[in-house]
Amino acid sequence: MRVGVPHMGNIYIPFKTLFQELNIDFVIPPINNQRTLSLGVKYSPEGLCIPFKLTLGNLIEAAEMGADTLLMPGGSGICRLGYYAKTQEQILHDLGYNVELIQVGVSQHKLFGILQIIKRLSNNAPWTKIISAFRFGLAKLNAMDKIERVVQKVRAVEQIKGTATRLFSEAINAIDRADDYATLKKVQINYVDQLNQISRNPAFQPLIVGITGEFYVVLEPFSNLDVEIELGKLGVEVKRRLFVSEWTKFSWFLNPLGVNEKDRIHKAALPYLKRDIGGDGWESVGEKVLHAKEYDGLVHLAPFTCMPEIVALNIMPSTKENIPVLTILCDEQIAKPGILTRLEAFVDLLERRRQAKNNRRQRVTV
Amino acid sequence: MIRIGIPQALLHYQYYPMWKTFFEELGAEVLVSPPTTQAMVSSGSSRVIADTCLPVKVFCGHVLYLVGECDFLFIPAIRSVKSKVYNCSKFLGLPDMTKAVIPESPPILDIDIDINKGKRKLYQAIYELGRHFTWNPVKVRRAAIAAFKAHLCYRQLMSSYGLTPPQAIEKISGGVQPKSLSSYPSPTPATIAVIGHPYLLYDEHINHRLIHRLEQAGNRVLTPEMLTDEELESATARLVSRAYWTYEHEVTGAGQHYLESEADGVIGIMTFGCGPDSVMMDMVHRQAARLRTIPFMCLTLEEHTAEAGIVTRLEAFLDMIHRKKRSRLTVCV
Repeated sequence: MRVGVPHMGNIYIPFKTLFQELNIDFVIPPINNQRTLSLGVKYSPEGLCIPFKLTLGNLIEAAEMGADTLLMPGGSGICRLGYYAKTQEQILHDLGYNVELIQVGVSQHKLFGILQIIKRLSNNAPWTKIISAFRFGLAKLNAMDKIERVVQKVRAVEQIKGTATRLFSEAINAIDRADDYATLKKVQINYVDQLNQISRNPAFQPLIVGITGEFYVVLEPFSNLDVEIELGKLGVEVKRRLFVSEWTKFSWFLNPLGVNEKDRIHKAALPYLKRDIGGDGWESVGEKVLHAKEYDGLVHLAPFTCMPEIVALNIMPSTKENIPVLTILCDEQIAKPGILTRLEAFVDLLERRRQAKNNRRQRVTV
Repeated sequence: MIRIGIPQALLHYQYYPMWKTFFEELGAEVLVSPPTTQAMVSSGSSRVIADTCLPVKVFCGHVLYLVGECDFLFIPAIRSVKSKVYNCSKFLGLPDMTKAVIPESPPILDIDIDINKGKRKLYQAIYELGRHFTWNPVKVRRAAIAAFKAHLCYRQLMSSYGLTPPQAIEKISGGVQPKSLSSYPSPTPATIAVIGHPYLLYDEHINHRLIHRLEQAGNRVLTPEMLTDEELESATARLVSRAYWTYEHEVTGAGQHYLESEADGVIGIMTFGCGPDSVMMDMVHRQAARLRTIPFMCLTLEEHTAEAGIVTRLEAFLDMIHRKKRSRLTVCV
């Protein structure tokens, strides 16, 4: 049995750790690239969204590398995601790959269901071993996300553009190599220090832009054409709620205890959208309302034909809380120059808005 | 008398007799928008963002028609009508979306239908809807039971007499029967099954009178509504093991059933950008390719779909089927 997983950001690193610790034979398909996308687009139904196409590309590439057991997130009551595994399995079978697709429920099986799947994959390894491997995987996930939060701040203010991004990819590699908690801790502290020491422009006040939208396109830089890095280059500090480590923390540990981080967002969205519409639609509306005062602007990322986000897109312009929103629909057709032009125009607009606000304030004080 | 507006789009085709009975039992008057026109499509499209699917644009057009004509609009948010089966986000967000894009719309009566939350919640939701007309729970209960009976009767009419929803609605309201299916003579009559959601199959503006054209060419037309719930469910189970979408049996169930039946051809109708259909139609498509018994054609519609394109594809498909039938006949002789 050889296990393969699709990509989403750096999520392959915790999986790799988990599989290595439990001696599971595995393959990591190549990081998302043009070939992955072409494969996915070629074999997917045309009307499907980019997350389906890219993950299908990953699964095909994993199957080419000899994987026969593939993990794919799924579940019910969300959006098309619940139907992904079913469709992708049929596509892979029609292509002649004899693979088994295991649907990892992200909504209905909670932590225990996922541990059970790991137990099955690991050929019945003892629970103690599974849990320690699982914990180490989560620790790596947390370390990566902690460093990424610092990177988001530094990117906006660094003097030599690109330093933070380079350090981040070094940090990811170091975390990947770390094989015990002590090394991991050291790596984390070391890179956070290095990031904080990057020379920065002291007088520069970065604009603050929130990123919201659909989970996959927000977290997979290949699908959104590195929108965070590009915003960083334009001197914008990016804030986002979605992190895989946050998701695991709440969905697996805190939600069963009755703590829900999304309550605040849902409450904010309530006057405009009264009910959960699946996917991240409710949260997109809520975040616009909630952060209208805090942020200078909002970048809303959505896959083309995404059902919940289309509902959110229709509702968002009608909110009383006003904040500039740049919507980027991600599909296989978007290209870097187009996105760059739109981001530059958006940042110009935010800059002018901020100046106008400051002028008004000065006039009032005079 | 309170006037309730019901747009003749989306779920109207599935539930209209039920809704009408419920509101009329409670003493309200029901106003339905007329069949879709180009003006409705244009006005609806101008309100929502471009990526929204055609049926929702049409729905907005119907709502705009009803603005000023009625006191309330009835737009339910139907999340789930069967356990662990969910609906497309656009149905869930429909009341909120309508309010956002059409601010001038009359107050919207929205009701959350979600079987997964338990019967109690469902009854509460129905009572809350009835509260707009009466405080008396017994009256609401009576209306709800009558409405449910009307719905069963409607389903029965379609599955046992082979009527399409517009014909069944016509019959319930006591109108004249439209021309029946077999009234056109044909040299080699073929049976064509058309699968898809009722709001696509029976909206003659969206599908450019597809069913009418098929009948006029001398074919017998079968639709998903002509099958019983049991037939649809078992066919769905054979193809995808368990239904995931609320209206899955209209596509995958009916598709699987007709692909295995005596029909001569199956035509799938979907709109561009439809989330559930993009995966469900693909399932049927793959199954048709695997079975290799009955020709299958999928027509994707949107507001730019031209009549000539539909007609050409339809003629080519029918020619192929008729040729196949004729060659089979000569072989037999």
